[in-house]
Amino acid sequence: MAVLLAANKRWVIPFTFVCLVLGAMLGIQVHTQRLRGDTMVGRETSALVGMLTRNEAQVGEQQEEIQQLRARLTEYEKEASSEKGLTRLMSEELHTARIALGVVEVKGPGIVLQISDSTMRASDEIGGQDVYVIHDFDLLQIANELWCAGAEAVSLNGQRLITGSSIACSARLIEVNSVTVGSPFTFQAIGDRDKLISALNIRDGVLDRLRVLQFPVKLTPKDSVAIPPISVTPKYTYARPVEKELTK
Amino acid sequence: MMAIPFAALVLGFLIVYFKAPAVPSNYADYVALAIVAGLDAFAGAGRNWLERRFDEAIFISGFFVNMLLAALLAYLGDKLGVNLYLAVVVALGIRIFNNLGHSRALLVSMRVEARRARTAAPSE
Repeated sequence: MAVLLAANKRWVIPFTFVCLVLGAMLGIQVHTQRLRGDTMVGRETSALVGMLTRNEAQVGEQQEEIQQLRARLTEYEKEASSEKGLTRLMSEELHTARIALGVVEVKGPGIVLQISDSTMRASDEIGGQDVYVIHDFDLLQIANELWCAGAEAVSLNGQRLITGSSIACSARLIEVNSVTVGSPFTFQAIGDRDKLISALNIRDGVLDRLRVLQFPVKLTPKDSVAIPPISVTPKYTYARPVEKELTK
Repeated sequence: MMAIPFAALVLGFLIVYFKAPAVPSNYADYVALAIVAGLDAFAGAGRNWLERRFDEAIFISGFFVNMLLAALLAYLGDKLGVNLYLAVVVALGIRIFNNLGHSRALLVSMRVEARRARTAAPSE
């Protein structure tokens, strides 16, 4: 102690004190940063994992429910078709309605159209890469063209397009029926093959426009195209049929 | 003699690292800034020591007051919506580099002079 109090060693005690303080601050900061990093990453991932598992469980439940409901529907149909007269007529109508609603898988002659993002890159031409990728409006235009040409059932990347189906852009991804899809895009359509093909290939139509920008386009007629059913049928919460009273 | 302060540094680090709770995250930046100010004081002290004008009163007052000022300035900046935090970090960073650079130059020149003195002595 006496050594430390000597005049030429006076600096040691205050210096030690300062070192202690600096060491303590470094310690608390390193400790904090480590905790901060841990908790941030941990919290986010665990929350996301939780959300994912919850959603997956929900999807599983709902799909099971759909299966059960469809099985019951088929039963009803069978019972109905075994009866005569009016009920048979009704069952035929139901059959058409189910195709229109997209709850049954359908098969028939039609076309398969495959398009993917352009082989051109932004540096090849003036303008951003945006020009050379497929957008929601391209797909919408194609779908519209198919319906115009009398397609009876259409699917895009395995998603059945029905009344109320949406093709929308969300954050640089395309969602069909709220399911994310990406390039390459495959349309399947059932209908008059010649009509469908000529409608798509119409001069200055959507495919013409895509071909000019070197988007790979493959349009093939098929003897049999199978189109899957919609995975989740829409619910009707607001719309109600208008009951017309029979006057005499 | 240098062993005592160094041991204190390690001891302070270890005690707080394992015992203390974390700083609330909105104050963590200020603590970090205070540490940078502390390092600046050390760099300055090292240079002063080499130049033989080290004074513990200046060192200690500089250490604590600069720490406080750095944190306060950053806090004020946050209140005003100006990123004074960056200004403090840049200013302190430049000072640390300056002091370290001067210290290095001084050490090198001291060595060079010592060697020159050694080689010059026998020839005379």
